[in-house]
Amino acid sequence: MTVAIGEPVRRVEARDKVTGGARYTEDVRAADTAYAALVGSAISAGRVRSIDARQAERAPGVLTVITHTNRPDFAAQPPTPYTAEGRMPLADDRIHYAGQYIAVVVAETQEQADHAATLVQADYQRTSPVPTLDAALPAAYIPRQNGLVRFPSEYRRGHAETALAASPVRLEQEYRTATLSHAPMEPSSTLAYWEGDRLTIYDSSQAVHTHRALVATAFGLPEDRVRMISSFVGGGFGNKSFAWPHVFIAPMAARVVRRPVRVTISRKQVFTGTGHMAATVQAVRLGADREGRLRALIHDSTNQTSFIDDRQEGAAGTTPYMYAIPDVYARMRVAKVSTGTGGAMRTPGDSAGAFALESALDELAYKIGMDPVELRRRNHADTDPVSGRPWSGKRLLACYEQAAERFGWDRRKAEPGSMRDGDDLVGYGMAGGQRMEHQSRARATVHLSDEGTAVIRSSTVEIGGGGLTTLSQVAAEGLGLPVGAVTFEHGDTDLPASSPTFGSLTSGSAGSAVRLAAQDALRAAIELAVGDRRSPLHGADPDDVVAHESGLRLRDRPDRAESYRELLRRNRVNSLRGDGDFQPAGETAGYAMATFGAHFTEVRINRHLPRVRVVRHVAAFSIGRVLNARTARNQAQGGIIMRLGAALMESQRPDPVSGRFISPALTDYHVPVNADIGEVDVLFVGEPDTNANPLGARGLGEISAVGICASVANAVYHATGRRVRSLPITPDKLL
Amino acid sequence: MRPFVYERAEEARSAVAAVADRPDAMYLGGGTNLVDLMRLGVAEPARLVDVSRLPYDTVGVRPDGALRIGAAVRNSDLAAHPAVRRAHPLLAQALLAGASGQVRNMATVGGNLLQRTRCAYFQDITKPCNKRNPGSGCPAREGDHRNLAIIGHSEACVATHPSDMAVALAALDAVVHLEGRDGPRTLPLTELYRLPGDDPRRDTVLDPADLITEVTVPALSFGGRSHYRKVRDRASFAFAVVSVAAALDVAGGVVRDCRIAFGAIAPVPWRARRAEEALRGAPATEDAFAAAARAELGQARPLRDNAFKVPLARNLLVRTLTELVVA
Ligand SMILES: Cc1cc2nc3c(=O)[nH]c(=O)nc-3n(C[C@H](O)[C@H](O)[C@H](O)COP(=O)(O)OP(=O)(O)OC[C@H]3O[C@@H](n4cnc5c(N)ncnc54)[C@H](O)[C@@H]3O)c2cc1C
Ligand code: SF4
Repeated sequence: MTVAIGEPVRRVEARDKVTGGARYTEDVRAADTAYAALVGSAISAGRVRSIDARQAERAPGVLTVITHTNRPDFAAQPPTPYTAEGRMPLADDRIHYAGQYIAVVVAETQEQADHAATLVQADYQRTSPVPTLDAALPAAYIPRQNGLVRFPSEYRRGHAETALAASPVRLEQEYRTATLSHAPMEPSSTLAYWEGDRLTIYDSSQAVHTHRALVATAFGLPEDRVRMISSFVGGGFGNKSFAWPHVFIAPMAARVVRRPVRVTISRKQVFTGTGHMAATVQAVRLGADREGRLRALIHDSTNQTSFIDDRQEGAAGTTPYMYAIPDVYARMRVAKVSTGTGGAMRTPGDSAGAFALESALDELAYKIGMDPVELRRRNHADTDPVSGRPWSGKRLLACYEQAAERFGWDRRKAEPGSMRDGDDLVGYGMAGGQRMEHQSRARATVHLSDEGTAVIRSSTVEIGGGGLTTLSQVAAEGLGLPVGAVTFEHGDTDLPASSPTFGSLTSGSAGSAVRLAAQDALRAAIELAVGDRRSPLHGADPDDVVAHESGLRLRDRPDRAESYRELLRRNRVNSLRGDGDFQPAGETAGYAMATFGAHFTEVRINRHLPRVRVVRHVAAFSIGRVLNARTARNQAQGGIIMRLGAALMESQRPDPVSGRFISPALTDYHVPVNADIGEVDVLFVGEPDTNANPLGARGLGEISAVGICASVANAVYHATGRRVRSLPITPDKLL
Repeated sequence: MRPFVYERAEEARSAVAAVADRPDAMYLGGGTNLVDLMRLGVAEPARLVDVSRLPYDTVGVRPDGALRIGAAVRNSDLAAHPAVRRAHPLLAQALLAGASGQVRNMATVGGNLLQRTRCAYFQDITKPCNKRNPGSGCPAREGDHRNLAIIGHSEACVATHPSDMAVALAALDAVVHLEGRDGPRTLPLTELYRLPGDDPRRDTVLDPADLITEVTVPALSFGGRSHYRKVRDRASFAFAVVSVAAALDVAGGVVRDCRIAFGAIAPVPWRARRAEEALRGAPATEDAFAAAARAELGQARPLRDNAFKVPLARNLLVRTLTELVVA
């Protein structure tokens, strides 16, 4: 049966994953592999005076111990932010954060390496660390280089200060978000080996082509000498979007010991060695009239960054685009803390920013006695307030409406603390969310075979989001094949370069490339048929031929049809190749593009033992075309649950003295468990948005995680009358 | 992890002998805490004597409900035991409130009692810690102590004991049976643990060679009316922020007798004798329960960031007792 885009097809790799058949990077074996263990710094600021590796070197199985004193040189520092740190590993004796790698022990087995790593003795010269964002705040500044953030560090329209002063209603508050860890199930792993000056690197990377370029630069190689492969990724969330130090350490160590080297970071190093979402302090000032029309908005965010990099958490980046406000000022600063460089984490900037802005709007709604949904409706941006361009497929008002209805928002009593059920305080809250849509060049090929099957070849990586399934559906629909007839070669730089698997690029960009490739293959098949005298389609106008049931037919004459199998076999063609090269229209598109969401949350809080329980969450998203109802729902639920964690429990607290993370372990870094999750209901509004791209799909992975924290905090206020402006909302904040 | 020798003990005396002779030997139960600490470099035994297969793996029940629990009984088996669930529901609830199904399947009763504190600094060997390294200091005092002690702690150490099960057993007047260098002996569970004072190194009064063989729980006529409640930062699979084990005997609106212990507020499972004292003979009302809580928690000396535990412990006790009256 032919499968259409949008149908709830089961994941194509599901069976392999649940039976253990799926091969992750850690499962890849190479003959004669040596194993590395990474030694982290015990201090968070200072220098390494000396390292005594003698005992480690003598330990059983040890091949070498590499430190800043004996490491080979890198050819160059590849560019940030995709190179996560702007300092190559083991560059010098300086220590910028606790856990920074100071030595690499390579041994015959992982156990031997791990043991010897404990024997490396470092003598440190300590300097006083800057332990927390609060300590760093007085020295906050606007960074020169702002990394991945696609927005200026400062944005101005009108005169926000003046408009604010003239506003009849004013609100000024400060909001805080905690440092968060991605905490994926799979710790990052890299296996590297050299064959002459050719480097092969298996890496749990979310973006093989992007990262290959960085590795090539670091080792002074042309890109085509480096092959990077990432089969399946066991959870990314942005944690594997950047190339962290271990990615460069593995090839370096492999060169030193002249053998394949495997580096798998430890569970604890997942928390210190592959980034985090940096803590923020955000001041929000709102000015409005009594009818709830916003007149001025100032959003001033500062996030912690490391002493190595100026990495922004772009919390105020989307703010200017969100509401029809004449006067807006947004600023994003960084403050240096003795901690590692932050990474990109679902959803960079917007998750933290939406907590502040959407909480402030809720506060304003209560202040003027207006329904929070109505307040947002009144300030809806019908066109993009920054560029003035029309939005491409914005259905945010429908999101509010449909989610509110599904949720039963009309049952809400406005008065905080007025809804009770026995000892439970019941609270309803809502918030909106927006993420500017990005696109990236993506290529793919589709080979249609004389078996009536197709192979997609594209370097996109399956990180758990369901991309292999949705892209298979795209190809299947384009060629009129069942999904089962489509296979996928993926995650390898030997394949056509897809878009990276982050930034919600897969549906729109990688998807469009596959669509174009499938169309190209179809065109080739049609050409073959109409030019083939023995084909029932001979002589037909190619425009009248369509894909149907694993073959072709005339649109209006079902009897004039033949299968791909017959067509190709008769012509002795093994396979037809279609190429897809999606180039984003970018600025020339004439439209502003974003994804939108609306969240509604019900919390229950025992008034004596105030742990917040989210019993119900309803969200609606405007993302254009939904490629697969099942994987989309799953993806959105995952994004929501991830942020429920940020709302209620997740915090990578720094030791207030040293800045070292207190809980770099899954036992102590709490993410939601099953028992924490109530009903999570997801709706999609809208239709294919072909202004955005040929497929009409926009990203979902990121928008699904924007606005939840505010929705929860707003519900907590509604339940208790207490406004919590600092995440997470743990029981102590409500006593 | 330091390399070590593993051996399996066949009977109690030989296990004791294997550890008594060697200062660097330790008993191994399910390994769910000790192996973690070895991986962290906090514990560095050169020899592990596995006592999890000793023949102390059954639960004996007397007709009056008294229990004799083997030290090698797995936490999940004890929680599921019908006699425990019937006569001492608070014990079953405490066990099920701890860890996860997988951990409980491994964890033994003996190991559970002797698990070490979850203080983050204790678990991080790059940090000083008086418990791990006497005299080096206590960074938790100035540092992160949100979930550390409010009562019973000292200048030298503010850690809490993390066990849920031990809180229920403390309330139930359990007795610990030991096999030591000089043969068998017993100890009330509440006397097993010691407050840190100026020597926080040892959590208990035990000698390193003391082997826990059994735990006995006396009959409690009103044990059926008991409850264990735990507040934590997420719904499951988290150590307690505050917990309480309580059993209540009410007749004619008056508290005849009660047993109360708190968890996660002190360096030891905290038997709340002052609260019990205040309650006996008092009316079974919320006011009386609150007064009892005050009697106990009046001694609390919270740290900079954990004062919230005082009202939380109070509320938890009042709610738990109130529910027991209704039940
Ligand atoms: C992820 C995780 C979450 C957890 N959450 C909770 C929780 O919420 N609540 C809770 O209460 N606990 C929790 N725990 C702790 C768990 O209950 C303990 O690790 C477990 O009970 C220890 O038992 P064990 O048999 O594995 O002990 P081991 O780890 O084998 O030993 C612990 C200590 O006891 C000693 N020992 C063992 N048996 C004997 C004996 N018979 N005589 C003398 N000494 C002995 C050992 O030498 C060692 O010092 C959690 C643990 C983990 C890993
Ligand atoms: S509280 Fe106790 S265990 Fe924690 S650091 Fe201080 S001395 Fe060590």
